Amino acid sequence: MSENKTENKNMPFLSIKDLKVEYMSDGQAVHAVNGVSLTLERGKTLGLVGETGAGKTTIAKSILRILPDIGCHIRQGEICLDGDNVLTLPEHDMRKIRGNKVSMIFQDPMTALNPVQRVGEQIAEVVQLHSDGKTDSEARAKEMLEIVGIPAERYYEYPHQFSGGMKQRVVIAIALACNPDLLLADEPTTALDVTIQAQVMDLIGELQKKYNTAMLLITHDMGVVAQVCDDVAVIYAGNIVEYGTKEQIFDHPSHPYTVGLFGAIPDMNEDEIWLHPIDGLPPDPTDLPQGCAFSPRCKYAGEECQKGPIAIYETADGHHCRCCRVDEIRKQEG
Amino acid sequence: MTPVIEVQNLKKYFQTPRGLLHAVDDVTFTIEAGKTLGVVGESGCGKSTLGRTIIHLHESTAGKIFLEGQDVTKVSGKALKKAREKMQIIFQDPYSSLDPRKSIDSTIREPLAVSGRFSKPEIEDRTKQLMELVGIDERLQKAYPHELDGGRRQRVGIARALALDPKFVVCDEPVSALDVSIQAQVLNLLKKLQMDHGLTYMFVTHDMSVVRHISDDICVMYLGQVVEKCSAKELFKSPMHPYTKALLSAIPSVDIHHPTKREILKGELTSPINPQPGCRFAARCPYAGEACHQAQKQEEVSKGHFVTCCRVHEVN
Repeated sequence: MSENKTENKNMPFLSIKDLKVEYMSDGQAVHAVNGVSLTLERGKTLGLVGETGAGKTTIAKSILRILPDIGCHIRQGEICLDGDNVLTLPEHDMRKIRGNKVSMIFQDPMTALNPVQRVGEQIAEVVQLHSDGKTDSEARAKEMLEIVGIPAERYYEYPHQFSGGMKQRVVIAIALACNPDLLLADEPTTALDVTIQAQVMDLIGELQKKYNTAMLLITHDMGVVAQVCDDVAVIYAGNIVEYGTKEQIFDHPSHPYTVGLFGAIPDMNEDEIWLHPIDGLPPDPTDLPQGCAFSPRCKYAGEECQKGPIAIYETADGHHCRCCRVDEIRKQEG
Repeated sequence: MTPVIEVQNLKKYFQTPRGLLHAVDDVTFTIEAGKTLGVVGESGCGKSTLGRTIIHLHESTAGKIFLEGQDVTKVSGKALKKAREKMQIIFQDPYSSLDPRKSIDSTIREPLAVSGRFSKPEIEDRTKQLMELVGIDERLQKAYPHELDGGRRQRVGIARALALDPKFVVCDEPVSALDVSIQAQVLNLLKKLQMDHGLTYMFVTHDMSVVRHISDDICVMYLGQVVEKCSAKELFKSPMHPYTKALLSAIPSVDIHHPTKREILKGELTSPINPQPGCRFAARCPYAGEACHQAQKQEEVSKGHFVTCCRVHEVN
C-alpha cells in the first residue's frame, strides 16, 4: 500500500465528502447518513458526537466498507484515504487496508471477540494476514498483550476467562497490532466502568502518540470528548450540525442542538433541582422533516427552518454550524 | 420519625460452582421519608443485588430489613404481597423489562388487577391517570413496547412501579440505557413524582453526575461492601476512601480548561468468590499496607460521614 502518493501531499489524510448512506427496511428507505463531509489529519483525534441512531457508526463502517451487502447502499459521496477513494477500490485492495492501515475498535467487547478461539490467536491472525510471512505473529501478539497491560502468558486463554475491561483491551490490541494509520474507535469505553475507562483511554492515547495514529472517536460522552479530542463534529439525524475545534465547540456551542446537549448533562459543580432536557424525540429516519431535522424540537425554529435543506455556515475560522438562524440566536442569547 | 427503609447488616451470598459469591456483604443504612439514597459502584459491586434483596426479589442470606419500622426480612405469602405494594422497582433496561406481547395499558393495569383492591372501572380510570402522570399520550395505550422509544418505555416502567402508590421505590439504573437529552426528561419526571407523592428512592447507578444530581445521601460500594457513606455534597467535596477518590477522579470532566488530575488505578478487580478477610480494594489501592489485609471496621470520621478504611487518616 505504499505506492507513490507524493502528488497528494496537500490533501488531508482522511477526507469524506458528501456521504449519503441508506438502509432499506420493510420497503422504506432509512436515511442513516445524509451528506456528511469531514477531514482528519494524521495524529489528530476527531470526536463524532451524537445520540443513538444519529448515523455515527454507519460513517465509520463506510470508511472500512463493512456495511451489510444487502439492504444498504452508499448513495453518493467520496471517502479519500491518503489520496485513494476507498469507495471505488476493488475488494482485493480493501482487504489489505482493513486491520492494517485502518482498523476499528468495536463497541461491545463481549460480542466482538470469537468465543471459541484463544485470545492470543485472535491478535496473531491479523498480524499474519498483513505481514510478509516472516514476522513471528505469535511473538507480536504477545507483545501487544503486554502493551495493553495483559500478561503474555494469557495468550492461550479464551475470552470468557477475561473480565469486560480486559476483553476491551484485547479488542484494542487487535486493532493496534499492525500500527494502523487510522483508528476508528466506536464507543470504545461505553461498556466499561469509569476507572477502567480511564485506563483504556490513557492506553489508546499513549499508543496514538507513539505511532502518530489518526483517530475517529465515536461517543456520546461529552466528558470523554473533552479529555481526548482535538476537533469535534456533532451529528444529528445523519448530518453534521456543528463542526469545529474542541475549544470552539465547548466554549461557544452554536447550534441549538449542541447547546441543548450540553444543557441536559447534570452539572457536577452546581445544585439544580431541574435538568434542562431537549423536548421531543429525534426524528424518524424514514421520514425526515423538510429543512432542518432538528427544527421540530428547536425553540428557535421559524418558517425559514422548514423550507429546504439548510447550508452549513462558517461562523468563525474553522467553526461551522448548520443553522440558518445562528446569528439571531446569538444576539438573542447575548 | 421512623425511616421508610432500614437495612441492618444485610448479606446476600450466591452459591456458585467455584464457591460462595459474596454479592452483598454486611450493608447497613436507613432512608428517611421523601429522601433519595444513591448507591454507586462499578459493575459487579452488588448494587443491583442490594436493591433486589431489599424488595425480596432475592431472599436475603442474613441481616434485617425494616419497612416503615416493620420487620419484613422473612415475610412471605400474603404479608409479602402486602409489603410489595409499598416497595417497588424500576428496572434498568426498558427494552427487556416490559412484556413484548402486552400492550402499554395492560402492562400498567396488571398490578392494579393483581392487588384485588379495585373494581373494573376504577382500574380503567387509574390506568389512564397513571399514563397521564408519567406523560404518555393516551393514543399510545394500545401500542406495544417495540413501537416505543427507550424514554417512553421507561415511562411505562415508572407508571407500573407507581400503580399501587408505593412508599419506597428502587430505581435500578433507570436512565443508563437512555440518551442524554432523554435521560434529563426521565430524571426530571422522577424528581417531580418524588416531590408530589413523597416517594422515597434508592437510586442505583454507576453514573456519578446523575447520582450527584438526584441523591441526598450516597453509599459507595466496592465488591459487595459499603466503603463510604455520607451526604451527596460531602462526598463530592471531600471523598475520604481511596476507592471513592479514584472513582471521582476517573470521571471525564466536560470542563476543557481545568482538566482533573486523574488517578489511574492499576490491577484488576479481586474476585468476590470466597473473598479473603481484609479490604477488598487493597489489590488496586495505591495506599495499601499490611494492616489492610485484616478485617476492616467502619469509622465515623465526621458527623454522618462513614468510611471503611484502616488508613483513612494517613491517606487524607
